[in-house]
Amino acid sequence: MISFVLAAIFSVRPSPIVDLKVMDNPNDEGGQIVLKWEYRKDADLSQISYIQIMRIDKMGTAPIVAEELKPTAKRYMDTDLKNGHPYRYFIRVWFKDGSYIDSAISPPVVPEAQWLHKDRIAALVILLLYGALLIYYLKKARKGERLTIRPIAGLQAVDDAVGRATEMGRPLLFVLGLGTVSDIATLAGLAILKRVAMKAAEYESDIIVPCFDPVVMAAAQETVKQGYLEAGRPDLYNEKNVYFLTNDQFGYAAGIDGIIMRQKPGAIFLQGAFYAESLIIAETGHSIGAIQIAGTSSVTQLPFLIAATDYTLIGEEMYAASAYLSRDPNSLATIKAEDWMKIIFIGLILVGAMLETVAGLTGNKSWSFIKTFFAGGAQ
Amino acid sequence: MKREIPLLISFIAGTLIVISLFVPHPPFNKMEETLNSWYIIVSGFTFILGIDSLLLYNWDKIRRKSKDWPFALTVILSFVVTLVWGIVSGVRTGHIFSTNSTFRNYFYLYIYVPLQATMFAILSFFIASAAYRAFRARSLNATLLLITASIIMLGRVPLGNAVLIPVLWIAVLLIAWVVLLEIKATTSASTRVGYILMLILMVVIAVPLTKFLYGNLSAATDWIMDIPQMAAKRGIMLGLALGGIAVSLRIILGIERSYMS
Repeated sequence: MISFVLAAIFSVRPSPIVDLKVMDNPNDEGGQIVLKWEYRKDADLSQISYIQIMRIDKMGTAPIVAEELKPTAKRYMDTDLKNGHPYRYFIRVWFKDGSYIDSAISPPVVPEAQWLHKDRIAALVILLLYGALLIYYLKKARKGERLTIRPIAGLQAVDDAVGRATEMGRPLLFVLGLGTVSDIATLAGLAILKRVAMKAAEYESDIIVPCFDPVVMAAAQETVKQGYLEAGRPDLYNEKNVYFLTNDQFGYAAGIDGIIMRQKPGAIFLQGAFYAESLIIAETGHSIGAIQIAGTSSVTQLPFLIAATDYTLIGEEMYAASAYLSRDPNSLATIKAEDWMKIIFIGLILVGAMLETVAGLTGNKSWSFIKTFFAGGAQ
Repeated sequence: MKREIPLLISFIAGTLIVISLFVPHPPFNKMEETLNSWYIIVSGFTFILGIDSLLLYNWDKIRRKSKDWPFALTVILSFVVTLVWGIVSGVRTGHIFSTNSTFRNYFYLYIYVPLQATMFAILSFFIASAAYRAFRARSLNATLLLITASIIMLGRVPLGNAVLIPVLWIAVLLIAWVVLLEIKATTSASTRVGYILMLILMVVIAVPLTKFLYGNLSAATDWIMDIPQMAAKRGIMLGLALGGIAVSLRIILGIERSYMS
């Protein structure tokens, strides 16, 4: 005990902690302070037992141990602090011989909430740019200017698929995948469902929609009903054909496979978010000779669907489906704005790649400004 | 009003979520979390709708003795047995998945899990049949896909390097055969010249390519996965992100209304 006290009092060792930086955590709702520090180059870390982050809530009061860390730590974030209140910190280094050394006390730091997430400025710029392009094309559309987008084979085949199934006297099967109603892929699938339902009503065909999620089921029922209404055949709408199947991934796949094998639909639409069950469903559909039109935002499932189905809407094509099928000028304006954004991105990627090459060759990091701007906090 | 109120709700909820992405300050910081909690509560209640729909659909089939009605009966029986067994087991043991729960030990482990595993296992056969159709060397694109896939598959298995030479030469002969067929089928003189040049190029690079791959199969596989594959994937993802913004804005601004009746 005496040696411990003497060691603490008469220690002449300098603190192994240098360059202690204490700052308010950026881009948060407040209540958080970040500490960063380095160890002296000549410090023997093997002699350190642990370090303590010491917080002084009020000058003149005893410091509080905020956290105990291993001697390899170089960063700590103190949380649950009071916004607008100043805090000071220092680091206490405990050695294996039982002695300790304190670092210098930091100046007071006040945690605060921020009004702008600075790491997301690039995303905000993209959104504003997109918004400006959208307003421009919406104005054009409202003036009656004709907006055209490229033909999408998978969407052109929708009417043919419905017609083929009708000729064969078979129902249509529409699978919305495993997504919930908050997934954009599911919403895009619902837009395609409306068009298919309209055509089914026109041709007096049955459309079966087994759902994975009850909320999606409710939305799908409304969508199909609206499709039949718009086609002028509300009498043909059968709510029982849009039903909940199961909330289990492979149970859903098994259920869909059963429907395919028993009811032998003439056309199968796989539109939504799909995972490992995509190929199980698509291959079963192929085995009965149904025409299949798939579309998903799941990049990993796209190769399976391309291999197993007749037409595949690749990602954004699916998102463009409702605009493409409805030909609504306002919806087409969003697609035109999207296309221009894509051109801007391609330009940025090319310029960025060139600048990165220059930065790599010259060793001057200032050439990487495009990368730095878009990487934000990810860097 | 039937259309305006849902549109207004969509606009307010969508706008708040967008704002919360850029503004970390309260009250926006908890906005997404709060709205998601509301969604979870609402979706919990919709399960009642889902069960109602499932039971009515199948009961209707049984009542009308329609084709395949025994399957509908199986669904209803399975539903009732699972529900009753689960409740009884949960009440008896305190938790439905406790180690002495009969529901967990008999139903879950010996019925539910094997059924799921069976469905998942079927996937491997479907992958084989779909891959066969995709890789059939019917066109130049499909043949290039076959060769690339062969390199990737060989690079990912321990024996890959040992069987590389015969597999690669079979692939080269296959592509040569396809190119010859294309030359024969095409009517355009410029396309024919292009194919002939491609054939010559193939003959010239076949031996050095084999030599190169023999020592660097793993590196070549990584290169294909990291550069061309990743570039294509990122292109799709970029389109998806922009498409996602377009759909979201259409919904927030009330342009997209297909989900409403």
